[in-house]
Amino acid sequence: MLALQAKDLTIGARIDGTVVPAIRSLSFDLAPGKILGLVGESGAGKTIVGRAIAQLLPSGFSVTSGSLLFEGEDLARMPPARRRALLGRAIAFIPQAPMTALNPVLTIGAQFDEHLARLGEDGRSARRERALAMLAAARLPNAGDLLGQYPHQLSGGMCQRVLIALAFASNPRLVIADEPTTALDVTMHPPILRLIAEMQRQYGTAVIFITHDLRLAAQLCDDVIVMYAGRAVESGPARAVLSTPAHPYTRCLQLANPSMRAERRALYVMPDQMPSLRQLQNMPGCHFAPRCPVIVDECRRGEPASVAIAAGRSAACIRAAATRSIAATQAAAVAADISERSVLQAESLQKRYEIGGGLFSSARSVAAVKHASFSIAENEFVALVGESGSGKSTIAKLLVGLEQLSGGKILLNGEDLTDPSLRSRARRATSLQMVFQDPQSALNPRRRVASIITQAMEAGSRHASWNERLVRTRELLAEVGLSPDFAARLPGQLSGGQRQRINIARALCNIPKVLIADEIVSGLDVSIQAQLLNLLARLRAELGFAMLFISHDLSVVRHLCSRVLVMYRGEIVEQGPIEKVFGDPQHAHTRALLSSVPPDEPEAAWPSLGAAAAAPVPLS
Amino acid sequence: MPAILRSLRSPRVLIALGMILGIACCAVFASSLAPHDPGDQNLLSILTPPAWADGGDPNYPLGTDSLGRCVLSRLIYGARTAMLVALFASLGAMIVGSILAHVSGYFGGAVDWIIGRMVDVWMSFPPVILSLILMVGLGVGLDKVILAIVLVDWTRFCRVLRSEVLIVTRHDYVAAARLLGFTHWQTIVREVLPATLPLLITLISLEMAIAVVVEAILSFVGLGVGADQPAWGQMIADARQYVYQSPWNLLLPILAIFLTVTAFNLLGDGLRRTLDVRLAETGR
Amino acid sequence: MIATVVKLIVRRLLAAIPILLIVSALLFCVLRLLPVDPAAMSLPPTATIEEVEAKRREMGLDKPLPQQYLIWLSDALHGDFGRSIALRREAGSLVAATLPATIELALCAMVIAAMLGLGGGLLLFHLRGSVFEPVADLVSVLLLSIPEFLWGLILLFVFGVALQLMPFTGEVSPGLPIPHITGFLLLDSLLIGRFDVFLSACQHLILPAVALGLAFSPTIMRVLRSSLFDVYHEDYIEQARLRGLSEGHILLGHALKNAALPTLTLAGVQFGILFSGTLLVELIYSYPGMGNLMVDAVRNADLPLIQAIGLTYCIVVLVINTVVDSLYVVLNPKLRVR
Repeated sequence: MLALQAKDLTIGARIDGTVVPAIRSLSFDLAPGKILGLVGESGAGKTIVGRAIAQLLPSGFSVTSGSLLFEGEDLARMPPARRRALLGRAIAFIPQAPMTALNPVLTIGAQFDEHLARLGEDGRSARRERALAMLAAARLPNAGDLLGQYPHQLSGGMCQRVLIALAFASNPRLVIADEPTTALDVTMHPPILRLIAEMQRQYGTAVIFITHDLRLAAQLCDDVIVMYAGRAVESGPARAVLSTPAHPYTRCLQLANPSMRAERRALYVMPDQMPSLRQLQNMPGCHFAPRCPVIVDECRRGEPASVAIAAGRSAACIRAAATRSIAATQAAAVAADISERSVLQAESLQKRYEIGGGLFSSARSVAAVKHASFSIAENEFVALVGESGSGKSTIAKLLVGLEQLSGGKILLNGEDLTDPSLRSRARRATSLQMVFQDPQSALNPRRRVASIITQAMEAGSRHASWNERLVRTRELLAEVGLSPDFAARLPGQLSGGQRQRINIARALCNIPKVLIADEIVSGLDVSIQAQLLNLLARLRAELGFAMLFISHDLSVVRHLCSRVLVMYRGEIVEQGPIEKVFGDPQHAHTRALLSSVPPDEPEAAWPSLGAAAAAPVPLS
Repeated sequence: MPAILRSLRSPRVLIALGMILGIACCAVFASSLAPHDPGDQNLLSILTPPAWADGGDPNYPLGTDSLGRCVLSRLIYGARTAMLVALFASLGAMIVGSILAHVSGYFGGAVDWIIGRMVDVWMSFPPVILSLILMVGLGVGLDKVILAIVLVDWTRFCRVLRSEVLIVTRHDYVAAARLLGFTHWQTIVREVLPATLPLLITLISLEMAIAVVVEAILSFVGLGVGADQPAWGQMIADARQYVYQSPWNLLLPILAIFLTVTAFNLLGDGLRRTLDVRLAETGR
Repeated sequence: MIATVVKLIVRRLLAAIPILLIVSALLFCVLRLLPVDPAAMSLPPTATIEEVEAKRREMGLDKPLPQQYLIWLSDALHGDFGRSIALRREAGSLVAATLPATIELALCAMVIAAMLGLGGGLLLFHLRGSVFEPVADLVSVLLLSIPEFLWGLILLFVFGVALQLMPFTGEVSPGLPIPHITGFLLLDSLLIGRFDVFLSACQHLILPAVALGLAFSPTIMRVLRSSLFDVYHEDYIEQARLRGLSEGHILLGHALKNAALPTLTLAGVQFGILFSGTLLVELIYSYPGMGNLMVDAVRNADLPLIQAIGLTYCIVVLVINTVVDSLYVVLNPKLRVR
């Protein structure tokens, strides 16, 4: 009997009085013990499917037709009591954000105890034994001590292990893992994925694995469904689908992912973005049509049905045969004109923070950055990679002056920036700018785009006239690829990708020499990310500026930058040309970072995942 | 400010504004609305009941107090006292409190610590006690009452606004403004203040409610605006002694205070709901 | 665990001492700057200027202000808070005589406010999304608009005067003995075995305590409701649902514990304000507590007494705030364990 089966499942959302299908005619079979990947960008509907299984759909959403069968029973038509009885027992969930998924005022032991009591385990000591056993199976050391600790005392990785232990404690037949590694540090990804795979094998559980990462899905999952705008556009065995995609969208998505090994080319860019639910109402025909490179007239007339193209594979496209022709752009990545002159030099940067201290205790000194030295040449894009807590954001703040140096010097074009004179502050403002990570917090929600982009022209002693600002606004919008009517909009009316473009435009207003980009493409969809990466490369060619690109995503960094600085615990442990560092890493941390990235080709093996169970994970 | 205009669609806000407008009219046009001079004593007809009860005199629609003064006139003039105190005391407290809150929250560090300690010390005085003691020192009078309320309540503004300033300042667009070359003051006025303005306005409204109550308490105890100016608290103190003979003299000023305070509280609550909804998805 | 809690409270109380010193100094200065002459007030109106001057020197009023404060401080540390000018008794003993009654009133009122606040908050939260929510919300705003002194007057009028159900003056019915063992009337009357005194004391306590409790419960209600709202948006509540726990279990076992923290902090702060609110209620009900004493002192410009009572109010509020702060640290695991 199938663990989970969807038959033409359609979930509708009530928008402006009408019901718009958010998930359309989804069908799949999940056999016991298999892993099914739901792959898609944000807005594709993969999370909605997960919630539909739990029947915890957001308000306004409901199952309008079709069925979702768990071991033969329809989840949508089950009485609520029966459904609740299944949750936590036969069906378990592994959440996306582990740190907030545990009650902060209860100990781990208390939460485990509550869960096991509900599962029917009698006796406090029996429950404690079982909890210890599960925690040990999740490779958590000092399980006994852990039971008495609170969630905030654990790292993200440890919290996730606890949640995995909780999920598998009931020997479930189905586990839904919703992007379980996205919120964790990169080096934690392989161990957690390994753990899920091991537990799944041990208990014979069927798993639905929701992710946005194609390469990850290829490595971990048996079968995969690619979702776009609420529809399954392609499905089949994971490696087959991802090595020879049948649907144009899958192929385009693949080409939009920067690679670690292939020759560097401009990324394939799909125009615009995925249609929202509102836009779907007025879209007859294939929903991918506006962005599809192999479109014909018939595509716009009716939604294509899902057709079988090979054994166990299907795709919802009438042009599936043409997909093979979509090739990567032939144009090579624009070679940067990197000069020999260094425009920014950092010497032995240090930053210490004082923590604690008060009437009765002395302060501790924590070094966030220890003796970081590097330089950036004109027009050079240098990457700064590291995990959270490595100090990369601190370096960014030190460079732009948001934090004060505890030691060391910063030289911009030979001038010492640490000189607190007003002239040097003004010089810094024109030559060195920062693009912030979170587009939500980086743009003042009350100002219109025109006012935000040309903010730099109001500052200081230069008061540009209204006309000058208008002209510059249009120029900047054109440069970042937005139409002039964006000038009157508010940030709340823009998408994440559009906001980042405004962010970049604002920083470029006075044409700085050096741009500091702090994780500006993290959290964006792959296709939007590709647009922005191409934009940055083009801007460099047109305007000429250097950039310190901070990121944790190695493939993005490898695509865009020519040199890399690897940071670990406040120190730069390795630096050099990217191909050299990534090809022959010297430091253990660099090696760890590199092995945490799934390989480009779906057929290639990923050692980190298949490795036999290693020693228990050290407390981090 | 679009958010403020949006709040005009809330029924709460509209009703509250209507009530406040009514009371403000009483205050402004008191001399035209009141049938008698509020200080006019008519010792021949003391403690007369309202016109609709038996024994009532249509000349005195709501009756007279123990010195023969018209209750209706005193209520209307009392509205003037209450509104004046509410307006000026809350403005004063707002100015002092918000300046210190913005300085404290934006700059942080030692400045924040000093202002924080000042607020702590100030707030360890129970507000009622402190205002009484201040009135002993300042003496009676309308301006002294306003000053006392400002001195006591600025801390409330400071504390609440400071949390909001801290949240806003943490946003990257404030840092971005600094990076683009704006001075500290320019950044506070251009980026931080528009974000804290909605909360500020809500707090002013709530502060007006508190000011009306404090003024009434001070008048009740006898340390308020002084015997020559009509005040609702004083009417209550006076009526308490004759509660068996004329209960209306006690109930009417209580009603007046209740309606005024309710109006300001409703306004503050309505504003908070419409302005907060922008941040959180659900209404409360 | 108890040891850490006690250590914490002691540490914070010690840290509160500088605040207390500053507060007492400020109080001292504010009062000394008044255009009131304690020397002239303590002499009959026929006294000559030389006699007043002599009295001033005797009372130490000619010395510089900081020195006067230090003298007062050293006296106070020995328990001598000066003499009340109007009542001609030790200020310290006057305060000690009236403080227990005020504490009794405040405690009863706090219990009432807590029960009403808890019940009301849960009810408001339970009604969310239903048709009754706007009505309930409006009622809570209206309740919020009635300060304690209005409640005191309304209850006095309705139950005392109109319906004549409850007494509304004083502490016990006249004619009954007032035992003085601990100072707490309810306790004392039980200790001496006089149940009629106890009953009478209870009856007299009801209206003032209910008035105070009613005035402070709406704030607790609203904070509990909004805390529960916030908590229900958190991830771990959703996770608990996904593990199959029932809504009731989630509310009591998970949500309430988290919502209790901010509610407790606010309730603690409210207790401080409630304590100072006893002044008005005592005034309205002629209840013989510190509040009545303060109002008389203020009307008579009796500086030593004002200083002593003002300081006592501040000490009580500081102690309450300190205990509440410590309790918050104890209950919040993020602050308790590093």
